[in-house]
Amino acid sequence: MKLAELEARFYALVTAPESVAKTLAALGPEARREVEAFVAGDGRLSAVERLDVYAGMYFFRIRDVLRDEYPRTLALLGETAFHNLVTDYLAGCPPAHPSLREAGARLPLFLGAHAAARERPWLAELARLERTRLELVDAADAAAVTLQALEQIPAPQFPALRLVRVPASVLLANHFALLPQWRGSEDAPETPEARPETLLVWRRDLDVFHRAIDAEEAECLERVGGGIAFAELCARLAIGRTDEVAAVRAFELVARWAADGLLCEPAADGRLCEPD
Amino acid sequence: MEGFPNLGCGLGLRPPHYGAAARGHIGVDWLEVITENFMVEGGNPRRVLRAARAHYPIVLHGVSMSLGSVDPLDDRYLDRLAALADEIEPAWISDHLCWSSFGGHTGHDLWPLPYTEEALAHVAARVARVQERLGRRILVENVSSYLTFRHSTVTEWEFLDALAARADCGLLLDVNNVHVSAQNHGFDAAAFVDGVPAARVGQLHVAGHRREPTHLLDTHDHPVADAVWELQRRAVARTGPVATLLERDDDIPPLEELVAEARRASAIALGAAA
Repeated sequence: MKLAELEARFYALVTAPESVAKTLAALGPEARREVEAFVAGDGRLSAVERLDVYAGMYFFRIRDVLRDEYPRTLALLGETAFHNLVTDYLAGCPPAHPSLREAGARLPLFLGAHAAARERPWLAELARLERTRLELVDAADAAAVTLQALEQIPAPQFPALRLVRVPASVLLANHFALLPQWRGSEDAPETPEARPETLLVWRRDLDVFHRAIDAEEAECLERVGGGIAFAELCARLAIGRTDEVAAVRAFELVARWAADGLLCEPAADGRLCEPD
Repeated sequence: MEGFPNLGCGLGLRPPHYGAAARGHIGVDWLEVITENFMVEGGNPRRVLRAARAHYPIVLHGVSMSLGSVDPLDDRYLDRLAALADEIEPAWISDHLCWSSFGGHTGHDLWPLPYTEEALAHVAARVARVQERLGRRILVENVSSYLTFRHSTVTEWEFLDALAARADCGLLLDVNNVHVSAQNHGFDAAAFVDGVPAARVGQLHVAGHRREPTHLLDTHDHPVADAVWELQRRAVARTGPVATLLERDDDIPPLEELVAEARRASAIALGAAA
């Protein structure tokens, strides 16, 4: 048997949703004989049982990683439903990345279209929050500017202040207000309130945080993601406000973002502000 | 083996001991890390690795190179590995004699190969290409296995011998894997250890396993078994003192216990020189 054919047969059997024995039984008696023709078995373990060792390791290794990565989703779904979700997920989205940590990356999206979330569509958004927090743990580093550094900037230079969001930050636009479920608080409603809510998720130093933000802050942070000048922020906030009130609001936001470690330090040239 | 100096007593670095490694507080001579866990953009893993590197020689031990797969080699993976190696300057890089991907998908496991001329030519060419891309020789490790293929024409150790010669690579001899596979397939573990080309062995692994009713599982969740210590003694009698490392992935005991077990492995390796 050629190597390519061997690997194709082996892979199909050990990654099948059912055990190797069940998979072969569904294919008929000839399938089992074909396996026994290329895999050696003995009195202790048949060829099929030996393949099943690998099939078990494939499924349970990944399932256990997903259990660790999605503890809240697991708790809300329950063991059996989570197990079945993982079975379907591996069939629909087999891992394709060299790192085991990426095996569960598509689970939130998959869950959104899965029967397990039919009655609770917000579960996919909660899973996405779990995933996002995990991914930020080892997202790209960037030194954050401090509030003290901002306070040193002379007022005339502030309009040119360059605002850039740290790479370890994400905005999640949700359809449900998830935080009571996330906290698992006793007074959390069984179903989260269905209303749009944006969550800001970010890492400061080694710790990951999230908080709900209003639509205006979300839009501003979206723009800051690509980098904007403080004056542009003020212009956005001036919609429906006087310039003075908008500037106050902009200062409030920038101070909060700096305190949260959300804004990048100046570029290598050390400039916090755009050149005139 | 040239390019693979005896670094002494080594330990596989796992998350519970990241802090101690970063501070240089692990009482071993060198550390081995799972490469893929550090092929990330930033955050704690990379910070720990950089800090640990300031205190210890580091070996990058991969599980996803998939040297035996009929899929094309993953160039993006190799690029990222090369970049990590440029940054960390590892003592060496190792991976496994196995395949773990097919059709663009990965099983996150170390699947066994048939020991045939076709597989040998395939794996040797890929090892050579990896070594060319990385600009260094690598070590290839024997895996634990739970099945064998009927059309294999040589033993696993004969295959390793031929692979090392043809690809001009080194070998990472995992004596626990030898023991597990020998028990599972009924071959003589001593014959395996005696059969690998001693001059090509750049590193040894020792680890624990779990006994199931019908087979042994390579779980790295137990202390090293007596039979594995015996195999290590037999191996170092042939290889002389080589860098020796303890792997432990689950049910990880306190660091002092781990280091004591790693030191036992190192003492056996040093005993070969006495």
